[in-house]
Amino acid sequence: MSMPTVLIIDDEVEFASTLCQRLKLRGMATVDVHSGVEGLDALKKMNPDIIILDLKMPDMSGLDVLEKIKELDSTIEVIMLTGHGSAGSGVEAKKRGAFAYVMKPLDIAELMAIIESAHKKRGKG
Amino acid sequence: MDAKTENSIREAQLESFGRLMAGMAHDMKNHLGIIRESNGLMGDILEMEPLVADEVMVERFQKSIAAIERRIVIAAKMMHHLSGMAHRPDTPYSSFLINDLIEEEYVFLERFARLKQIEVRFEFGDDVPAIISDPALLQHVFYRVYTSCLELLEEKQTLTIVTDKEDRNAVILFRFSGVLQMEPETVRDDLLLAAVAKLQGEITVIDNDQRTSDMKLLFSSMNV
Repeated sequence: MSMPTVLIIDDEVEFASTLCQRLKLRGMATVDVHSGVEGLDALKKMNPDIIILDLKMPDMSGLDVLEKIKELDSTIEVIMLTGHGSAGSGVEAKKRGAFAYVMKPLDIAELMAIIESAHKKRGKG
Repeated sequence: MDAKTENSIREAQLESFGRLMAGMAHDMKNHLGIIRESNGLMGDILEMEPLVADEVMVERFQKSIAAIERRIVIAAKMMHHLSGMAHRPDTPYSSFLINDLIEEEYVFLERFARLKQIEVRFEFGDDVPAIISDPALLQHVFYRVYTSCLELLEEKQTLTIVTDKEDRNAVILFRFSGVLQMEPETVRDDLLLAAVAKLQGEITVIDNDQRTSDMKLLFSSMNV
């Protein structure tokens, strides 16, 4: 089984870089960037299997970034991160094509299970 | 200043307070997220990159990491519910389930019972109908009745909170163990009664054959 390549897009630098290190320790090629624009740029360069995307960022909303990602490559699976009390935004993201949404603070075991499912859906897991 | 203007100011103040709380809860969840990931990374390093040969030291670190993780989970749950509560005034009239509402609020009420050493038990009904009303106001009423009930109880006594369906109505019962000298006036006040009336609800005190006493809140679900 091949390991997925993962792109993390989250404006919380410490969060993104720490999560990036944790996924690397689990054998995944992972890159973290900290804005929607940077994320779209990185997407074109690295062609990831999975994107972990924050819902709220200052430059672009996660939902807008999701839409752009799906325009560029509809096969990439996107996992949305939300810190809000309401799961409504996450549900909206799923309607727009996100694979799943997870609430912050993350449960790494839960995230790993979702990544594995997303990778299988892409036919690579 | 007339009463209507005064009331409008108060409502706007509450709305601002709710928005501030929601923002604070959101930020706190981000902070907790970073703490959790950093803590998790320390655990990963100890587990996956065993650089430290001293097993006792590793075990001590792992215990500490586990303690931090446990507290983060509790704090995250509190922030989740605080965020939910703070957003309630955004939809002053909405359809909701009282079981959800109580679960959300009780995270913050548990400590009052703990400090007084009163055991609180829950018996949530499975088919309690949804009601259309003001959820933030109902949480205010629940808080008032709950704290009044705690005032009436002694250490080591039990308060059972029951939710149930009665015809097409949703009911919350605050049930006291044993015989309790409880007059309706003890837990009633004019503002509480006005709030219950605004919710188109009823508040009554029931003596169950002197075995238990119930403070009963009933809310109509006829509009659903």
